[in-house]
Amino acid sequence: MVRELEFPNPSPMYGERTNMSEPPEKLPVVIIACQIMQEMLKKLLPDGLARDVTYMDYGLHRYPNKMTLSVQEQIDAVAEPSLIVLGYGLCGNGLNGIKAGPHTLLIPRTDDCIAILLGSREAYMREFEAEPGTYYLSKGWLESGSNPLAEYHEYVEKYGEKDATWIMDTQYQHYERLVLVAHDEADLEKYRPQAKEVAAYCQRWNMRYEEILGSDAYARRLVEVAAALDTADSNFVVVPPGGEIRQEQFI
Amino acid sequence: MSEILSELATAVIEGNSDDAIDLTEDALDDGLEPQNILDNGLMPGMDHVGVEFRAGNMFVPEVLRSARAMQSAMDVLKPLLVEGGVEMAGKILLGTVKGDMHDIGKNLVGMMCEGAGFEVKDMGKNIAPEDFVTAVKEFNPDIVGMSALLTTTMRSMGHTIKALQEAGLRDQVKVMIGGAPVTQSFADKIGADGYASNAASAVDLAKQFAGV
Repeated sequence: MVRELEFPNPSPMYGERTNMSEPPEKLPVVIIACQIMQEMLKKLLPDGLARDVTYMDYGLHRYPNKMTLSVQEQIDAVAEPSLIVLGYGLCGNGLNGIKAGPHTLLIPRTDDCIAILLGSREAYMREFEAEPGTYYLSKGWLESGSNPLAEYHEYVEKYGEKDATWIMDTQYQHYERLVLVAHDEADLEKYRPQAKEVAAYCQRWNMRYEEILGSDAYARRLVEVAAALDTADSNFVVVPPGGEIRQEQFI
Repeated sequence: MSEILSELATAVIEGNSDDAIDLTEDALDDGLEPQNILDNGLMPGMDHVGVEFRAGNMFVPEVLRSARAMQSAMDVLKPLLVEGGVEMAGKILLGTVKGDMHDIGKNLVGMMCEGAGFEVKDMGKNIAPEDFVTAVKEFNPDIVGMSALLTTTMRSMGHTIKALQEAGLRDQVKVMIGGAPVTQSFADKIGADGYASNAASAVDLAKQFAGV
């Protein structure tokens, strides 16, 4: 069981110590997160909670194999046994197989960042069941060029106009809805013009454009849980030292 | 392998449809058997693509182009293969599971299995468990292949297997599953008969099930 870790409560025990061991201390918190969470975490992280924060390139999710290696490398570079918060979802199995080593890992239990931007797993499942043929646009994906319009331009350059169009049609003709999702109004506004350009292109498959305002509730809980790991519920995956992230923990 | 067949494999790998067609016709003109061209030119090319894709060295657009090149060559060969009266290896029912709109990988499996001599019925995408059940009754396949590209939709593979059980059909078919997030341990967990990590392994698995 990954979640049945006992974390010593540091304060009230001091007077009762009978042996010579050091007082139990909280693990230092280290954050390794996708850039998509940067703004949210900057606002939500209380001073002094995280010893170290690293934001990783937006585009890693496009290459899950490389994502596994990059994130593992970051984890392995943390010298002192720590509570490492991974600001990621399973991301196309990008986290599958990552080893905790001497650290404890805390991860939102979600397939990808859409649930994080929507504010909860429930919100994501609701949207998903309502309309499976949805392509989500998030700030991270717009910034990293992971959207149909950017892809089209990339393919035109590589394969020429005719093949690019054929590749795009083959990949996207079944989608019915394009949704810009953001955790706050400001981001919705900021990315609306870009999203609408993508939406105009996606008209070729009759995709309709919608916006969904999510929240930072999931990210907020992640920060709270990082400060008090024993409060981790089923919305989080906790991997103890020596453990490994496995897909089953997310399913 | 003759030089022309290895050139054909390269045309498939590079996604060059025109070359694939020309080389197939040249090979036929040289007197090579259609089955030989398929087995030793097209299939090895596509095998390579599947493995490289899974390893992260090839990407979706390249795989699509390769699949198209293979399909173009298949269009030339298929009438000849049928004419030659090739014995069918078995029947495969294919579909992408409920809630999932991804069909590129599944289409590829379908094409490769056809190439390997199976009769393939492709139900398309977003197929509910009860629709798989109905299709198994109607088509009477030896093998049911399910695809899912999302961890969110993988669960539906388990639901489909359960639905087959409840309909009393589970024992008459082999179930194989695949798709980017799918793993062998997931296949074991939901009681599938097999898992394939790429289209070429799906063909091997299907052959193994069919005993050919």
